[in-house]
Amino acid sequence: MGMKGNGSNHECSRERVKGEEEAAAELLLCREPIRIMSKGEVDYVHARGGFSFDSCRRNEMLLNKGLKPSSFLKTGTTIVGLIFQDGVILGADTRATEGPIVADKNCEKIHYMAPNIYCCGAGTAADTEAVTDTISSHLKLHRYHTARESRVVTALTLLKSHLFRYQGHVSAALVLGGVDVTGPHLHTIYPHGSTDSLPFATMGSGSLAAMAVFESKYHEGLSRDEGVKLVCEAICSGIFNDLGSGSNVDICVITKGQKEYLRNHLLPNPRTYISSKGYSFSKKT
Amino acid sequence: MGDSQYSFSLTTFSPSGKLVQIEHALTAVGSGQTSLGIKAANGVVIATEKKLPSILVDETSVQKIQILTPNIGVVYSGMGPDSRVLVRKSRKQAEQYQRLYKEPIPVTQLVRETAAVMQEFTQSGGVRPFGVSLLVAGYDDKGPQLYQVDPSGSYFSWKASAMGKNVSNAKAFLEKRYTDDMEIDDAVHTAILTLKEGVLTPAEIEDYLQEVE
Repeated sequence: MGMKGNGSNHECSRERVKGEEEAAAELLLCREPIRIMSKGEVDYVHARGGFSFDSCRRNEMLLNKGLKPSSFLKTGTTIVGLIFQDGVILGADTRATEGPIVADKNCEKIHYMAPNIYCCGAGTAADTEAVTDTISSHLKLHRYHTARESRVVTALTLLKSHLFRYQGHVSAALVLGGVDVTGPHLHTIYPHGSTDSLPFATMGSGSLAAMAVFESKYHEGLSRDEGVKLVCEAICSGIFNDLGSGSNVDICVITKGQKEYLRNHLLPNPRTYISSKGYSFSKKT
Repeated sequence: MGDSQYSFSLTTFSPSGKLVQIEHALTAVGSGQTSLGIKAANGVVIATEKKLPSILVDETSVQKIQILTPNIGVVYSGMGPDSRVLVRKSRKQAEQYQRLYKEPIPVTQLVRETAAVMQEFTQSGGVRPFGVSLLVAGYDDKGPQLYQVDPSGSYFSWKASAMGKNVSNAKAFLEKRYTDDMEIDDAVHTAILTLKEGVLTPAEIEDYLQEVE
């Protein structure tokens, strides 16, 4: 039939049918009102909205010319996850850095995806927040539509497709864990969209410190308390040995039908004040 | 899509100023199964008769009352497939609102957006109006609310309302039985009794009343 549509911002379910009834049928299936758009408008409106890569090209060009990029909030981070006998335990530190400065001493890095699925995020804080929020929304609509509990692989696939579509520009490295009808699952997702499925995982700048702990102490069939203790150890290893990680430990334990979000489970870095009366400085100092 | 032969609206005015397609849509609603809603002091009840075309139909697969958000539900009278489309759109809009404002969507907002969708389909090219009326029941910080949305896109807030077949009987019954200070259990009871008026058989009523007690 060859319908030349340059206003591709309709949601039309088209089917390749032959004959004239097709044209009528195609139009009847069209959901959006038909607008006559001027050429300028069409150029500006994208098929799906969202990211335009034009700025990325300009930014790269500026970088090549020597312009220093503005610093943004990164989570130099330690995030970990492990599978124990009843489910999944996720852990994260709580320091958010902006270059060499600690921007947030107690931020939340374990994000809600679904009642039975949580996701730790490392990388650019805004990216991890936005991407987990978006996919969490998607999963919610999917749950309403199918009347079923969300599966971890669904969250995984939505996240990796999203990250792949943005070709690594969305700087989010994630540890996704949850328990669904098929059992406990733990995955890592890299900013370019590749994934791993593992019994224990670490990500972020403190990942090596935490992985050292896991590699020496992890075994299958851990109990809940053993698992929580091991995760705490791994995060603490990241907190004390990596500059990008610090402050407190957040834990999330997910089992079949239940989840426990233990915010600030461990506070190994309490503020200690020298003098409760405060300081007094003499003049001209 | 601009260069097609059907970019005109199929819903056009009649000489007397009526939109005949919408009138017909309301007729479709009026021949659908009865559904009703009652606003109590501490909640809202929506009910409908789930009449299946044969005993062979798997009744668990038929869902006439649907959830839009954790605190808003909807029931319809009229064409089931049309209601599915609206439910899907409403859920998406509720979710978008939540994502934008980080607040659960108020009932009035959701009703307004659903009504806007229904109105769009009375003024667009190549589409027909929806053949359903919806009863949206929700509980937000303004308390319990009950709205009816018509194929034209107009919406009304009701204390108690009915749609579909037997609507005049049902409404008359509701007018008699409704009180402002009803509790939710009374409302459930009243809803079942209203449906009984010409809709359910005495044996079915007995079953339901037993369940409620």
